[in-house]
Amino acid sequence: MLKRSTVFLLTLLVIASVFVPVTFAQDKTVVTVLNYMDLTAPGTQRQLDEIWYQFSLDNPDIIVQREDLFLDAFHNKVEAYAAADKLPDVMFMWPGGRSTTLHTNGLVKDLEPLLGDFLDDYQAYVRAPQAGGFVAMIPSTITLSHAFYANVTLLESLGLSVPETYEELVAMVPTIKAAGLDVVLMGAQDDWVIQSCLFSMIVGRLTGDEKLEEILAGNAKFTDPEFVKSLEFYAKLYDDGVLSSKIMNTGYGEVKSLFAAGRAPFLIDGDWATGDFISDEEGNALFSPSEQKGIKMTIFPAIPGEINEKTSSGVPGVGYGMSSKIEAGSAKEEAALRLIKWLSGKKFQSLELETVGTPPSRTDIDLTQFPLEPLIIERIENFSASVLGSTYVLDDIFEADVFMPINIGLQEIGLGLSTPADVAKATQNAYDSWVK
Amino acid sequence: MKKAVYWTEERRAYLLLVLPALVIYWAVIAAPTVFSLVLSATNYNGGPLFSASRPFDFIGFGNYTRMIQDKFFWISLKNNMYIVLISVFGQIPLGFMFAYVLHRKLVKFDDFFQTIVYLPSIISTIVVGRLWQLFFSAYGPFTEFMQRFDPTWQNKLLIDPKIAIIPVLFVILWMYTGTYLIIFLANLQKIDPALIEAARIDGATEWQVLIKIILPALSGVIVTSSILAISGSLRSFGLLFALTGGNPARRTSVLALYMYDTAFLHSPRYGMANAISVVMVVLSLILIIIVNTIEKKFGGSED
Amino acid sequence: MSTNKKQKGDFNPLLRIFVYAVLAIFTFLTIYPLFWLVMSSFKTTNEFLRNPMGWPIEPTLNNYPTAWVRAQFSTLFTNSLFFTIVSTLAVIFLSLMAGFGFAKIKSKATPLLHGSFIIGILLTIESVMIPLFLFINLIGLYNTRTGVLIPYIGMGLPMGIYLCTEFIRSIPDSVVESARIDGASYAKIFLSIVVPMAKPVAVTLAILNVAGVWNEFMLVNMLVSSDALRTLPVGILKFSGPLSSRYGLQFASLTIGMIPIVIFYLFFRKEITKGVSAGAVKG
Repeated sequence: MLKRSTVFLLTLLVIASVFVPVTFAQDKTVVTVLNYMDLTAPGTQRQLDEIWYQFSLDNPDIIVQREDLFLDAFHNKVEAYAAADKLPDVMFMWPGGRSTTLHTNGLVKDLEPLLGDFLDDYQAYVRAPQAGGFVAMIPSTITLSHAFYANVTLLESLGLSVPETYEELVAMVPTIKAAGLDVVLMGAQDDWVIQSCLFSMIVGRLTGDEKLEEILAGNAKFTDPEFVKSLEFYAKLYDDGVLSSKIMNTGYGEVKSLFAAGRAPFLIDGDWATGDFISDEEGNALFSPSEQKGIKMTIFPAIPGEINEKTSSGVPGVGYGMSSKIEAGSAKEEAALRLIKWLSGKKFQSLELETVGTPPSRTDIDLTQFPLEPLIIERIENFSASVLGSTYVLDDIFEADVFMPINIGLQEIGLGLSTPADVAKATQNAYDSWVK
Repeated sequence: MKKAVYWTEERRAYLLLVLPALVIYWAVIAAPTVFSLVLSATNYNGGPLFSASRPFDFIGFGNYTRMIQDKFFWISLKNNMYIVLISVFGQIPLGFMFAYVLHRKLVKFDDFFQTIVYLPSIISTIVVGRLWQLFFSAYGPFTEFMQRFDPTWQNKLLIDPKIAIIPVLFVILWMYTGTYLIIFLANLQKIDPALIEAARIDGATEWQVLIKIILPALSGVIVTSSILAISGSLRSFGLLFALTGGNPARRTSVLALYMYDTAFLHSPRYGMANAISVVMVVLSLILIIIVNTIEKKFGGSED
Repeated sequence: MSTNKKQKGDFNPLLRIFVYAVLAIFTFLTIYPLFWLVMSSFKTTNEFLRNPMGWPIEPTLNNYPTAWVRAQFSTLFTNSLFFTIVSTLAVIFLSLMAGFGFAKIKSKATPLLHGSFIIGILLTIESVMIPLFLFINLIGLYNTRTGVLIPYIGMGLPMGIYLCTEFIRSIPDSVVESARIDGASYAKIFLSIVVPMAKPVAVTLAILNVAGVWNEFMLVNMLVSSDALRTLPVGILKFSGPLSSRYGLQFASLTIGMIPIVIFYLFFRKEITKGVSAGAVKG
């Protein structure tokens, strides 16, 4: 039975717990950070220890309140914060794409005047104006959203080699299928994957960036033959047996394991997927260093009728920006800047290189210094060399209202629910109502 | 003076007892409902609501027209209706059947079976969703299992848009049948065993006992269970979120997921998301009214 | 027992086989996936890839400590416990208070107010999630403990008030009346008579609320952004979500998320059964 005193105490507890304030020491500067992080990725623990924890040790006067999110959860949260006018002090962001509103609505600061000669140690593309016309974040690398991974060991066992042209790839389909394998794996259950990792590359090759710029400016349409051509080629991938609708029932995380298990000789993913294949801190790897030598990282074979050869889709990579709400010259601004410099610094980029294989945007990192696994060397040396140019990623140059019909439309084409013409029309309609 | 009379001890006590619950409940359910009714008539897309520069304009029924012109609204609504159907015509009959055989001790190990059937419904929808997603995946155990019989079998379960909802319905059936088992079991135990005994002695068959005694006694519970099933079917957000995320191509979306996507997946469209919210509330209210009317006709044998 | 035997005897054997078959299928469908889940959590990712269906050949326990640390399970458990316990206590206490008011003090307002709670049993919180999100933002409770607790309490109140009002109505009026004649205040009657008598309904309510809040996903997913406030379901989905290519860790985290509630069920099986059926009486 509940005693009176118990009831009283419980009531107190209830009331007290509701009003438990989140308190901080007054003499320290609090910097809130919205971070983009895959907690399951192999390099994560080192990043937590060597970057974030180290920063708090080196800077006892700053309290970093970090929030780690990933994929849609991250983007949803940014929208939510922007809606509530509660953006954190420092936030992970893209130079455009899904971060466009942050740039164009003046929600983040121009870092160039604050950083000064700090940027001298970076590749030139770091100073290129971003979506808002200024440098809101320091890109850590150039990210290619399309990479074509080939399991050479598996191909050779079938008497095949990495195809140079699309016709060669199609010619392999019967052999691969006869061996009970799929041809190309993609983890396309989430709808951004096809658009970002495959279709943007196709558009870059068959339609070209100039046409996309015209469409964006309203001087051309998605329904024009140049764009529909790309959709039609994408649809042909299914007809030719290169892609199967199974990709849409394959989780984005699952697919790397499936590729490692040899379910298909090819995988289409972003260049960042290398990070999932190499050893984690416990020494477990989907491909051991010796197996990695049997993996070739390249780009999709030459497409008939392409106007740009050997291109992949890419964006200057991600980095950290600062909320424009922070008062100029305040202690908070100084603290946030210190953090951003640290997150763009030599140590972080070296770690990214070592654990994920990200080619750094800093110029003072000596690549030969690190014990890189074979796949990372493949990425930095051969893959980068095989890409002759980088074209737009659709979700980077268009707003969500416009690229969402493409994302869903690409799945619909793969499922046989829509034709390329339908998707082009739906996208144009979305563009028209977005312009309004 | 009048005030003093008005605030009798009874009234004061009543107010103090009822008010805390009322304030919290209305803040959580009623205030957002009214709020959404207002916002659904605006083009609000984020920003501080009460600032000098009003971040929205009233646009009347614009969001509603936009919503009913969107094919994904209808796909989601249809899926919700499928879930209602599987709940009412799948979970309830199956739950009743299980409860009946367990109560009448027509099978052995009744405690074991009760646990097994009920267990899925208490596991987090997130764990259940992830589990079955992995299980049904194109390369998952289900495919492996089927390929042992037919090596060329291809798993199109969650891909073919015509049938992608079926695995979802299966998981929902699997997950919640146990709830109805428990409800029916508890109510079966209230039926006087002597009544059944007497009927049996008079030579009634098991089947006649079921039709003549048990079903009429449970008619009220069947109706209330239907209400629960219908309102529960609007609650499938977490499960779908973890199981399919609404894909492929949004063909397994439900209203709650559609609302979430509308609010967060594109650039925010809070006005339209609120219109969807209003539709869901109205839908619940209509269903409640319908079932209440039916219950009155049945005479509410449970009261 | 003899009558049972007799009934069994003339129950159509074909039908009985059918019933056993359906139950067997259900048993398989429940046990096999859960068993597969737990078994896979003892495999390394590489072993899972080679051997997704079979028994672990080189079982490993390493997935558990790694998943525990990476997914921050200590924080997730603490938060889940906090939200569950505090909201359950609050729901019980507030429901008893309001139930006492509704049941034992006559007022013209009761049908309306009580009725508004009854509607709430059927109104799903899902249907107001976006306005609730905007509302919580508006009043500045986004990403706070309070901002999660209040919706949880509000969500639990309709069922709580329904059950408590029914229960307290069953206490004879004379008990309250004689205490009033003895000069006891309503507060005293509530604390010294109603609350002690309400143990059974409090237990039922606690069980219903614990299961509901412990597994709740949507509210925390939407109303909370910082790691420090996340609960188990949200943390698990984030960790084992579409990006995890490490099967072993993923299965371990799903298993960790499943175990507590299964244990809870096995301990309180009778009470849960009673609670669920009590809650469903009126719908």
